[in-house]
Amino acid sequence: MLEFMDHVRAAFYAQSAWNVDNSYASLTTTAHNLLDFRIPNGIRLHISSLSSPNFATSYTLGSTGVVDGSLSFLYSSLGLHFKSKSRNVHLGNVVSGYRQLRELHKHERLAQELMGYDGAETQKKKDSLLYGRLYLPGSTLEALYLRRISPTSLLRLNCVSDDSLPNGGTLLALLQNDNGKYSHEYLYSTDSSLFGVRGLYNFGYDPRFPLLRPSGRRPAHPWDHQNGRLSIGAEAYFSPVNKSGGISTGLRFTTLPIHTGFPYTMTLTVNPLMGNLSSTYAVKAGPNLALCSRFDFNVYSYESDVVLGLELWQRRQTSPEVAWAKELVKPGWEMAHDTNGALKARVDNHGRVGLSWECRIKELLVSFGAGLNLKKRDSVLASVGMEFSYSS
Amino acid sequence: MAFNFNWSPLIADTDRVRDMLTSSLNKSPKPPIIVDDILVNELNLGSTPPELEILEIGDLAEDRFRGIFKMSYTGDAYLTLKTRVQANPLNTYLSTKPSFTSPMPLAASSGLTIPLQITLSDIRLSGFVILVFSKQKGITLVFRNDPLESLKVSSTFDSIPFIKDYLQRTIESQLRVLFMEDLPAIIHRLSLRLFDPELQPAVNPALRNVDTDARPPIDPFASPAQQPVDSSGIPLDDEFALDHPTETYASFSQKNLLRLATLAESQRTLSLFTPSIRDTVYRAWANAADRNEAAGGANTPLTKPTTLSRIQSSLGLHSTWSSASSQVSDTASQATRPSMVSAASGATVYTLNTSRPRAQRKRKNRVVNLRKTKDDKDISDLASISSGYTDSMSQNQSGSASRSLSGTGVSSLSGTLAREGEINTPPRSPQKKFGFQGHGESSKLGVETFGKSHPITPRVSHLQEEDTDETPRASTVLPLPQKKDVERHALPRMQTLPTRPRSLEMLPRSSSELNLSSLGAAFSEGSSGGILEQAWMMKMATEIARKVAEEKAKQGGWRRDSEQRYSTGEEAPPAYVS
Repeated sequence: MLEFMDHVRAAFYAQSAWNVDNSYASLTTTAHNLLDFRIPNGIRLHISSLSSPNFATSYTLGSTGVVDGSLSFLYSSLGLHFKSKSRNVHLGNVVSGYRQLRELHKHERLAQELMGYDGAETQKKKDSLLYGRLYLPGSTLEALYLRRISPTSLLRLNCVSDDSLPNGGTLLALLQNDNGKYSHEYLYSTDSSLFGVRGLYNFGYDPRFPLLRPSGRRPAHPWDHQNGRLSIGAEAYFSPVNKSGGISTGLRFTTLPIHTGFPYTMTLTVNPLMGNLSSTYAVKAGPNLALCSRFDFNVYSYESDVVLGLELWQRRQTSPEVAWAKELVKPGWEMAHDTNGALKARVDNHGRVGLSWECRIKELLVSFGAGLNLKKRDSVLASVGMEFSYSS
Repeated sequence: MAFNFNWSPLIADTDRVRDMLTSSLNKSPKPPIIVDDILVNELNLGSTPPELEILEIGDLAEDRFRGIFKMSYTGDAYLTLKTRVQANPLNTYLSTKPSFTSPMPLAASSGLTIPLQITLSDIRLSGFVILVFSKQKGITLVFRNDPLESLKVSSTFDSIPFIKDYLQRTIESQLRVLFMEDLPAIIHRLSLRLFDPELQPAVNPALRNVDTDARPPIDPFASPAQQPVDSSGIPLDDEFALDHPTETYASFSQKNLLRLATLAESQRTLSLFTPSIRDTVYRAWANAADRNEAAGGANTPLTKPTTLSRIQSSLGLHSTWSSASSQVSDTASQATRPSMVSAASGATVYTLNTSRPRAQRKRKNRVVNLRKTKDDKDISDLASISSGYTDSMSQNQSGSASRSLSGTGVSSLSGTLAREGEINTPPRSPQKKFGFQGHGESSKLGVETFGKSHPITPRVSHLQEEDTDETPRASTVLPLPQKKDVERHALPRMQTLPTRPRSLEMLPRSSSELNLSSLGAAFSEGSSGGILEQAWMMKMATEIARKVAEEKAKQGGWRRDSEQRYSTGEEAPPAYVS
């Protein structure tokens, strides 16, 4: 389950028209959501509030044997309007599951600029977001600065201050450029001076030239891949201090909403230096079910891993009286509000099992989780935890 | 002094060491590049033992040892480790960083684990080692500095310089930790297993054999007994070795330590001039006492030292401390007037073990140079006196026993008991000491001191009464030592004085008197203990040797010889007449 601040940040991205999916870093978001979901550990309580559209606070108290907590504050120059209260928040927004990619859209502001249209001042303003979080009792401080420096670019600064780190902290600077058809980002980390470049290219339709859009015809048959999107990307890192680096390249094909069959996503990532191949296949088998698998193989060490995961949504039963009305609703319209809870499970070939159940109880968002290790007969239950969050 | 360093059993038993190394290597948090347990695959200690140079020995006895060594090792030991490492530098880089600032690479950080075999060879060590051995507490071995000079790390990645350097660096730092922290712990645990009787059954028989094998060479008393006065430190050790183990243990019992503590406490509060640094003070005083014993020896009967040594052996550490403390308090009260009481305690100080290793070693050397033969005669003299008693305890105390007319071992025992009692209550009152004050200053004139000591004679009767009385004296505090002193004074003098007036001057009479003289001498003479001190030393050495010999004899060895010698010595005139 997304923490409140992550939820707020997602709202900021959404309202500032930033497409977080159009980045090489998020190439495998779906598989990540279904297979690497976070399992609560210990007991944790979040109390959060979006006191004004520009200001949010959140407090966390947790115990995993040791009591710890954190305070976080967020300021956004852009007024954020979303359902922040835990009693009416869309569960589908805070529980990340199968990610259905949308059609690429032309940046509205970019379009305005391109057309030489000088919009109002409000449209020129560069939205920014400030976020700070202090962990206690470790006194670790996290800070985040987001700024939309142009309609197509975003600057992100992540800082951590901690005694235990060399030089007392690290800073990561990331400049993302998203042109719809392609995106590229550059990053620099003060920790051992790591430089990085990422790029993603989408084949097919170019949103900058909507007139060249292929016919929006519906696919002739369910396995017609005309209405999917193929993306290819790569990343490279280099640290002159360590004289070390890494590269990887990846490929993704995903169906778009126009696709009439069941949605699915396939990715293949390759790390040519380390000989690592990773392929994922995720399918949304029904409105309430998503399945995902990942297969890792290393051509040098012949090590391999398989992970399987599933996501199951529990919908609120619609009363027979309104069932007829629901059937009339357009297929694309998700009734996110109907969701009651979501179960996620994963299992890998090492016998590790992860379970998580996220739901709303009264006004609280609750998530339970357990990690099991079936190979260890003596201690099968590796971890267990639950989290409560309340926001107003 | 030499150690027999037995390297081969260590080589034989590498399995256990390997296990312990494995566990200790995996205990500390591993660097992120190592993704699996480190397995010690092969361990060979090589055929070349490390070189050990003795720098200092702080404490030496059968059941304990404390020393500082200089160690250097350039042997052919090697160690092979097996583990798996993460070959992707980006992966290890990210694993140590906070996730909030992680660049979140998609697949560039995917791992590649590679089995790795590392061989550590050409290990060069050099450093100072502090070794503390105690039978109860096992062996504690500490490196005073970082001993690792260099080593060669060869691995599967030798062809890749970056990884090779990294491994070299990482392993060196890990090894430093191992040497400084883990190795002491391992050795301590091993030693505990060896020495702890409870755990011993668990130790496999082979190991125990090793242990027992190792001991004989260390066992010092096999050879030296026949040469009672040896220049080396061995005789001393023998004495302790021959003592019944329980005795020596008793000297370190918790009770004694407690007493010690209380003594120190009271001393601190009662005496204005007590130096605050305990340890240094004690040493200094012990030395002073040693030096001065000679001076005080004017009146000492030859047999007295025997008693002293007896006490020393039985009471061990705690009596030393007590005496030292008492001495301190005395001096504080009056540098000019050494007292009997202080003297007694001083003497004990000398004999007792804290200062033992160093001081005695030195002295022995001197003794050898100066007058070996004469002292031998003395020894024989002593021996004859004591030989009547079968029990070693009684032998040791025979001197005092014979002197005090009560003549029973009981009385001497009570004397020792009284000594123990002293511990609790260090002599506080300077007044009690003045009787012998003149003594110390006119150190060498036996006759005069005699006269001066007379005033105390009334007490002698007192004391004798008490001595005959068999009640333990631990509770009776101050008066006892004094009385004892008096008693020792009076009786022996009568016997010894007429025959050997000169000897009185040189030899410390009794433990108590020694102290007297020592105090005086310390202030008057300074450091030049000279002949007297040496003579005293000789006495000590011979006495020890005698005990050894007797033990040997009891065990069916060469008793006859020794007896013969002793008997001849008895007939001979006192040796130290010159």
